[in-house]
Amino acid sequence: MKDIANYALDALKKAGADKALCSAEKGRTDEFNIEANTFTLLRTTFTDSLHLKALVGGRKGVTVINKLDFASIVEAAQNCVALAKSSEPDEAEDIAPLVENMDFDFTDGEPDITGLFNRSKEYLEQVRDELPKIMIEGFSSSCSSKKGVYVNSNGVCFAEKRNYYSFNSMFVGKDGEKSSSFNYDGAVLKDMGARFIDSGMHRQLLEEAEKSINPRSVDEKFTGKIIVTPACADLIWETILQNFISDRPMIEGTSRWKDALGTQVASDKLTFRAAPHHPQIIRGHQCTQDGFRIQDIDFIKDGILKSFALSLYGANKTGKPLVPTASYNMEVLAGDTPLDEIIKSVDRGILLNRFSGGSPGASGDISGVAKNSFLILDGNISDALQETMISFNILDALKNITAISQERVTNGQTVLPWCCLDGITVSGK
Amino acid sequence: MLQDFLTAQKKNFKDHTELRAQVNANKRVVMLAGNMVGNTQTEKGGVCARVYRGGTYGFASGAEYTPESVGNVLKAATENAAFMDANIKKDEPPLPKIENAPGKVELKKPIFDDIPQSILIDYARVLDELVLKKCKNISSRTIVADALCIEKLLAVSDGADSHLFQPRSMVYIWLTADTSDGVPVELFKGFSHVGRFDEYFKEPLQFEKEIDELYKSLMDKREGVYANAGIRKCVLHPDLAGMLSHEAVGHTVEADLVLGGSVAAHNLNKQVASELISMTDFAHTAFGETVPLPVYVDDEGTPAGDAILIENGILKGYMHSRESARHFGVKPQGNARAFEFSDEPIIRMRNTVILPGKDKLDDLIASVDDGYFLVKTGNGQADSTGEFMFSVDLGYEIKNGKPGKAIRETTISGVAFEMLKTVDMVSDDMAWEISGFCGKKQPMTTSMGGPALRCDMNIGGR
Repeated sequence: MKDIANYALDALKKAGADKALCSAEKGRTDEFNIEANTFTLLRTTFTDSLHLKALVGGRKGVTVINKLDFASIVEAAQNCVALAKSSEPDEAEDIAPLVENMDFDFTDGEPDITGLFNRSKEYLEQVRDELPKIMIEGFSSSCSSKKGVYVNSNGVCFAEKRNYYSFNSMFVGKDGEKSSSFNYDGAVLKDMGARFIDSGMHRQLLEEAEKSINPRSVDEKFTGKIIVTPACADLIWETILQNFISDRPMIEGTSRWKDALGTQVASDKLTFRAAPHHPQIIRGHQCTQDGFRIQDIDFIKDGILKSFALSLYGANKTGKPLVPTASYNMEVLAGDTPLDEIIKSVDRGILLNRFSGGSPGASGDISGVAKNSFLILDGNISDALQETMISFNILDALKNITAISQERVTNGQTVLPWCCLDGITVSGK
Repeated sequence: MLQDFLTAQKKNFKDHTELRAQVNANKRVVMLAGNMVGNTQTEKGGVCARVYRGGTYGFASGAEYTPESVGNVLKAATENAAFMDANIKKDEPPLPKIENAPGKVELKKPIFDDIPQSILIDYARVLDELVLKKCKNISSRTIVADALCIEKLLAVSDGADSHLFQPRSMVYIWLTADTSDGVPVELFKGFSHVGRFDEYFKEPLQFEKEIDELYKSLMDKREGVYANAGIRKCVLHPDLAGMLSHEAVGHTVEADLVLGGSVAAHNLNKQVASELISMTDFAHTAFGETVPLPVYVDDEGTPAGDAILIENGILKGYMHSRESARHFGVKPQGNARAFEFSDEPIIRMRNTVILPGKDKLDDLIASVDDGYFLVKTGNGQADSTGEFMFSVDLGYEIKNGKPGKAIRETTISGVAFEMLKTVDMVSDDMAWEISGFCGKKQPMTTSMGGPALRCDMNIGGR
C-alpha cells in the first residue's frame, strides 16, 4: 500500500502540486443481515479508496476515487491538480510537517467469519428465547479487514492494518397489534469473544423496548430534569462538537463559544474529551486527515472550555490552536453519583434513551420528541412515554448539570456516563 | 459510459440473479463565509451481484469493472447465497417471474462528464457575492454547488434489463443573522434540478427573488418568539407537506418496515386519515407530467408503476420489493433501489405525494384564530408506531386569521394515522421537494410533495 500511496504522491507532484497528500486504503467486509427476525443476506464487499489533495499556490483541489490501478491514479492526480488550479488561493490551506512516521498493526489473525455468523445466529436465538416481544427490524453484523496508508509531500507516512467487527441492531417491542418506538444500538468489537447482547447497554435497551409497548404522553407541560443515557450521545456531545467547537461554526463566527476559551461554559462536574487512545476504544484512528498523529484532548475540563476541535485549516483560518484529534471518539469522565441516586433525585423528569428532533442550530435551542424514554416521578422510573416533547437550550443546560453517573458504558467508539440536566421544558398532548 | 460486460454472464445465472455495474460521479464546491473550503470531485464505481436461493440472498461487490471481475463478483455472490441457503434453510421457492417485462430499458446519456468544475466554482462565487450584496445584515453564509450523476447498467435473470442515468444538480444557501441579544439564527434554502448543472443553474441572478424572500424570512426569524408548546391548530405550507408524506406516512408503509413491526401492518383497508387525504408514490409520471425523480425500472429489474398508498383516507397498499410483494400477494411496483454499486436494493420511496385538494391556502390561514403557519422544514424522522417529527426552521404565529410574529426554530410531532384524521382543509396547489436525501440504511435520492394542510400538531417550544 505504501508503494501505491507514494506513486500517487509522485503523480500529484509531477502534475504540478506544490504540496500534496494521499491516503489509500484497501479492504474487505463480510456482513450478515437480518430483517424481521430472519436472516436475509450475506454480503461481501471489496473496497478500494484513494483520497488525493493538491495545493497549487495555496489553491486546493480534492479528488476521491475507488480505484488503485496506476492509470486511474495518474488520471485522478492530474484531475486533482487541475481542480486546485481552478480554485481560489487561501493561505490557510496547508499540510502537516514531518514529526515522526509510524506503522500500526491492529490485526490479530484472520477475520473470523464463521465466528461472526455463529454470534449473529446466537443473538437472534437469544432475543427470540429471552425477549419474546422483541422484533428485530433490521440487524447487520460485519467483520472488516483494512490496510491503509497516509503520505504527504512533507515526508509524513502513517501505515495502518486493522481488523475489527461490528454489529448494529434496530428493534421494536411488539405485542399483537401494538408496538413500541423503534430503537437502535450497536458496537465496534475487537473480536468475537463476547455475545452481542451483552455489549454496552444493549440488553437493557432491548428490555426497555419490551416495556414500552403501552406508552403514554405526559399530562401537562412542566419544567423538570432529563437523565441523558449513553445511548443518546448525539443529543449533547455531538451538538457541542458540531455547533460550537469545530471548523464550520468557528470559521463562520457563529459559535457562541468562539471567544470562550478558558472560561466556564458548563457545570464543573463535566469533563468532555476526545480519547482515541482510550483502551476501550476499538477503532481509534492514528492520524488526522491533515497528517498529524492523533492525540487525546480535553475539550471541556471541570466545566472550563480548554480546546476547540479545529483542523489545520480551521486553526490557520481562525488563529486558534490546532487540535490533532478524532473528535468522534468521545469520552465523558465518570461523575461521583451512582445512577440509582441520580434517578432518586428527580422529582419529575425523563430518562432519555433517544431523541428525535430537528438538528440544533447555532443558537443552541433544541426541541424534539423523547423516544424510548421513561417518565420519572418522585425518584422512580414510571411509564414509557410517547408524544412527549422536550425543549431547552443546550448552552443553558450544560450549566445546569446536576449529576454525572459513576457508571459508564462503551460501544467501542465512545465511553460515556449518564448525565442529568435541569430546566428542561417537557410537554405532552 | 459503462460498457456492457454483464449480458455475457447471463449464461452463468443459476438462480434469480441481478448484476449491476454503476458509477456515482459527484462534483462539489463549498463556499463558507466567502472561503472556498470545498472543491472536490468524487467518483465511485464498480460492479455487484445479488443471487437469491431458498429464501436468502448472497451479495458481492468490487470496484474493478472488467469481464473477469464481473465473473468473480457473480461467483462470490453465488457462494454467499449457497452459504446462506445451507445454513439458514428457509426452503422458500424461487421468486415469481416478472410477467410481460419489456426488453431492455435505455435512457439517453445526459452530457454530464463534460461539465468543468469551473462552472460550479464560478456559480458559487457569483452567488456568494450576490448574497453578500443583497443580505446586508447577515453574520455568515454558506453556498454549496453540487452535481451528482448516477449511471446504472443492470442485467437480471428475469424482468427488465436497463441502462439508466440519473443526473441531479443542487444549490444550497445557508444564511445566519444575529438577534439583538447576539443569538445566531439560521435559514436554509435548496434548489434542485434533475439534469445537468448548467441546464438549470445558468446564472445566480435567476434566484434573486428567492434570495430576497429567504433574507426577509431570516430577518423575521431574527425577531422571532418561542412557540407555545402543546397541541395547536397548524397550517402546513406545501413545502412541509412533502416531508409529512415522506416521514409521517411513507416510511410506515414500506413493506420491509411493515414486516418489522410498523403500525401500518394492521391498518390495511382501514380509515387512517381524513377523507380529504389521498397519497401516491409515483414512479415516473404524475398529473400528466414527468415527475422530478422518474424511475422506469428498479434495481431488481421490476418495471416501475405507481404505488397507491392512501385513497380518500383509506390505507390501500404498501411499497414493495419483489420478495415482499410475494409475501403480501401483490404486484411489485419497482421500489427496490440501491444508492451505490456496493449497496443491495432495498425498498425506497420515489416521488411520494399527498394529492392536492380544493381549498385556497389563504383560506386555510384565515380560518385559524390562534395557531401556527409552518413554512419551512429541515430534517425529519419516522417511527414504527407512526409517531413522526420534523424540524420547523421557519414558521409564524396565526392570530385571528392573519400571520403574525415569526417563531424560533422548533419541532412538530404527531402520530401519523391520528394526525391525518384531523386534516380538515387541503389546498388546491402543491410543491415538490427534491433537494434532500433519505437516510434509510443507505442514502437515496427521493422526491416528495403535497399541498397545504390544516391540522392539529404537537409543537415544541417554551
